[in-house]
Amino acid sequence: MSALTRTAAVIVTFNRSAKLMKVLDALDRQTLKPDLILVVDNASTDNTAELVEARATQDSAIRYMRLPRNVGGAGGFHEGMKAAYAQGANYFWVSDDDAYPEPDALERLLDAITAFEDANVWRPSFACSRVEWTDGTLCEMNTPRPVWDWPRFLTPDRPWALVDSCSFVSALIPRWAVREHGLPIADYFIWFDDAEYTRRIARSYPGIYCPESRVIHDTPDNRGVNFGMIDDKSLWKFKYGARNETSWRRREQGLAGVLAYAYGVRRQMREAGVPRRLKWSIYGAIFKGYAFRPAIEHVT
Amino acid sequence: MTTPASHKPLGQPAVDHIRREVSQVLAIYDLLYPTQTLNLFLYESNDPLSGKPSVIEGPVTLQASHLSPEFLGQMRRPAPREGAPVVTVMVSIPRAPLPSERALTDAPWAPVRGLKAVHRLSPMLYETIRYQAEMARKRRSRRVHSTVSLARSQGSQLFPPPAPADSATRPAILIGMHWLEVGGAEALAFDTVQWALEAGLRVFVVTSVPSIQRLRSKLPDHPDVRFIPLDRYLPHHLWPRFIEQLALTENIRLVHIHHCTFLYESLPQLRTMMPWVRVIDSTHIVEYADGGYPRISGVWSNYIDMHHVISRQLVRYYRDDFHIVGKVRLGRMLTRPEGEASPPDLRLQAGQKTLHVTFIGRLYYQKRPVVVVEAIRALAGWADRNQVDLRGTIVGEGPFRGAVTRLLQRYGLQDRVAIEPASADVPGLLGRSDILLLPSNNEGLALVCYEALAHGCIPISTDVGAQGEIIPPDLLVPVEPRAAVRGIVTAVDRLWRDGAFLAAQKAALQAASRALAADPTAREVLMPLYRDAAQGHQTEETGSR
Repeated sequence: MSALTRTAAVIVTFNRSAKLMKVLDALDRQTLKPDLILVVDNASTDNTAELVEARATQDSAIRYMRLPRNVGGAGGFHEGMKAAYAQGANYFWVSDDDAYPEPDALERLLDAITAFEDANVWRPSFACSRVEWTDGTLCEMNTPRPVWDWPRFLTPDRPWALVDSCSFVSALIPRWAVREHGLPIADYFIWFDDAEYTRRIARSYPGIYCPESRVIHDTPDNRGVNFGMIDDKSLWKFKYGARNETSWRRREQGLAGVLAYAYGVRRQMREAGVPRRLKWSIYGAIFKGYAFRPAIEHVT
Repeated sequence: MTTPASHKPLGQPAVDHIRREVSQVLAIYDLLYPTQTLNLFLYESNDPLSGKPSVIEGPVTLQASHLSPEFLGQMRRPAPREGAPVVTVMVSIPRAPLPSERALTDAPWAPVRGLKAVHRLSPMLYETIRYQAEMARKRRSRRVHSTVSLARSQGSQLFPPPAPADSATRPAILIGMHWLEVGGAEALAFDTVQWALEAGLRVFVVTSVPSIQRLRSKLPDHPDVRFIPLDRYLPHHLWPRFIEQLALTENIRLVHIHHCTFLYESLPQLRTMMPWVRVIDSTHIVEYADGGYPRISGVWSNYIDMHHVISRQLVRYYRDDFHIVGKVRLGRMLTRPEGEASPPDLRLQAGQKTLHVTFIGRLYYQKRPVVVVEAIRALAGWADRNQVDLRGTIVGEGPFRGAVTRLLQRYGLQDRVAIEPASADVPGLLGRSDILLLPSNNEGLALVCYEALAHGCIPISTDVGAQGEIIPPDLLVPVEPRAAVRGIVTAVDRLWRDGAFLAAQKAALQAASRALAADPTAREVLMPLYRDAAQGHQTEETGSR
């Protein structure tokens, strides 16, 4: 039942200036515009800096935060949320530089999270949009994870399912959740930072999936995440994913959780016929993840 | 032109919540600062309990921290005249409590760090260690906490004290409570609100401890009853001045303190500025840690006209620790029945083939829920050896609920022992139960013992507080956890096996009931004072016309 709705959009970008400009266009068209638009630049080498600075001279809501080096999406969201928290935002709307929100996306999220609190007293730890691919189908990699009693408060006019995990593509996070649970783990660099963070804040209370708030995710293709898809080009990302999720499993579920995860990864790779060389790289990442214990930074 | 998110219109529930709370804040400070210009700085709070108020009298210098992200806005109430000094009140509006917080404010209990393994290995060993620590604390408490009444000089006859001014306002009573939650002291306090209304007094209720105040709705919905949430919105150091203003404005003639620390601390101001206001208090239990409210009451005794106590143990406490005799009045928390009271008909029969044991109480350490489970476990073993069908019921809520559930599962007792919420039908349950277990670490005189006897259930209790005034010695067990469990099994075994012993205990319980019934009740002790307070004013009014 918060009465304060000052919202900071946190957009992390790296060498995708054209798409980023489309994102800023979409933010400018919002029926409820973020009070602050924080562009976190992971040391892009293209013309991102020039374009954003030019925009910022026309729009005082835009702030440009250039990081000295590329710290990955995880590091970018960590730094961006930390800065937005210090700036006094009551909500953090985190998203990628290739996700274009529909004009009412933020308004719908804010409506949903405040109306949910008004109606049910419970405070959702986040609200996330329906993320669609460019052809209007559901974006596979941005599918939130429902909790067991997901339809508890779902009605035809309030179609909000309870979820405990979502991606950082149009996720609205209230200030209290950041204060209580801290920031995303920067050391994850890429992959699983959003899943870890939303699951962490969802310990207080699950988030809500708001299908009436829509975002178009302009990815090259629409594929889910499965260890059977590994190839030489994507191996580096999967290694981060395996390391990070192993680290999280160890923290939350102990050795049994890690073993169950490793077994699932192995099965996916075996069924897809992933070459032995790549498989062993992933096993190595899992092994590394068991000893990987990044600290959670809290805000002050 | 699009709207910034921060300008999103608020939902009606949020608006109503904020307006309701702000009106309460204003009511407090309007009374405290009637002639000053009042600046309210309002904040949104993540805390459902306290408004964390702060007050600055005189000019204020604002800093960036005053405009934190939680800043809701400011309000100004002008003074009645130009040039009045400014008072700035900074206060947060607590958020509505979550459903989980409404059910339970305290976090689930967990063993202290370092002793978790001990609890896992042997819950009773853990209980024993904690018991030893509690006893050590009790021994220390006498050295740490004063048991000397504060001096109160009445001054010289040269300077007569202030006299009451005529007031056209109907007399009122101020009732101070610890909080509006479940508890024996609170049960009496709620009764006194009713009695005050009956006596014709207007009633003001204040609480000193921030809480969700779950029983606020239990206050009568009556135009003469007003709850003022000082616990939430008034800094402690301003209580004395507020109480003085309230007493002056509302013609308060009587202050009744039920476990309300800041009301005790307001007494120097009240007794000096308004010596005609009578002050009484009620106390229930001597706490191990620091003596609790009876000790506080004794310390402030020179500022109090009468101490109402619920047990003879407390009468002795005032006498032995503070040398106070004449103004201590015993008033039992009993209702005087109309006509002749019949002795309780106690249900348990020797050799019966079923046995229902019950525990009713808040699941906090004081009630020792772990010892309850251990006692039921031991009784289950006893019942199996004697072919008795044993059933148990545990009624209550609190941080130990999870631990109790886990222990019952661990001991395979979940099919024989039901856990029911505090809203359970207690009279109905006691009417089906044979034995009530009360292995508390500390008690005053537990109300549930009265209820158990009234419904034919035999209480077995640890020998603490004033429990001996209602329970015969053979049904009192030692406090030490293992000895308590052994004592409970021994007592139950004797009651079940030995008809003569059972008959003797029933007779002793009935005799104790009769003896308690012969004592004055709290209502009988307090009502004359309430009527005096109400009538004293009426007399004055008549005289002034």
